[in-house]
Amino acid sequence: MLALTRKVGEQIIIGDNIVITVVDVKGEGVRLGINAPREIKIYRGEIYQAVVSENKEATIPLDIGRLAVLKNIVNLPREKE
Amino acid sequence: MVIQSTRLGELSVPKDLVFQFPNGLPGFNDEHTFALVPHGSNSPFSFLQSANDPDLTFLVVDPFAFFSDYEFELKEDLEQELQVKDGSQIKVYSIVTVKDKVEEMTANLIAPLIVNTETKNARQVVLEGVKYTTRHRLFPEGIPSADGREK
Repeated sequence: MLALTRKVGEQIIIGDNIVITVVDVKGEGVRLGINAPREIKIYRGEIYQAVVSENKEATIPLDIGRLAVLKNIVNLPREKE
Repeated sequence: MVIQSTRLGELSVPKDLVFQFPNGLPGFNDEHTFALVPHGSNSPFSFLQSANDPDLTFLVVDPFAFFSDYEFELKEDLEQELQVKDGSQIKVYSIVTVKDKVEEMTANLIAPLIVNTETKNARQVVLEGVKYTTRHRLFPEGIPSADGREK
């Protein structure tokens, strides 16, 4: 991993079109400004990681017989809005 | 399209139920093609089966069938990516996690699957700035039985 020391107002440029600016540092918090092309998705790490772990936990185990109880659940007609 | 599934057997899936996830799913970035297999004719549940890995199956649900006030905004760049021309092309699914007890199953409302039913493009979106989490119980009061009673 590359570790860089930056001051408020300084930037890191990744590739040709991603610019990260250190906007503010307060206590333990660092505020970053990120400019990137819209096709680059930006996530807070812990939220993305939570989705990764949830997806991994959600893969169905071999025993799908247990899901038979869901057969009773049917869509009720939606109320018209 | 014929898709092999360890859990569901050999599936003959009509083309319009096969979706492309160009970016995969978080944690499964190399899985790009999935079939949506309904759990029953009138069920809000479906299976999401990888076309590539017979062992990779998810249970998904129509979140609005359980969470009537579920809402979020589709960002414009996502609409462009999925080539959405009209909101009616969009369907939303939530991945369900089933633990030891089936009735404690939860739906992931912070990361819905957004599919374009016309173009068959799809993405699992991680919502920002919402109150939802990866785990919302579908049956907080237990699974209703066939006769309508809670058990």
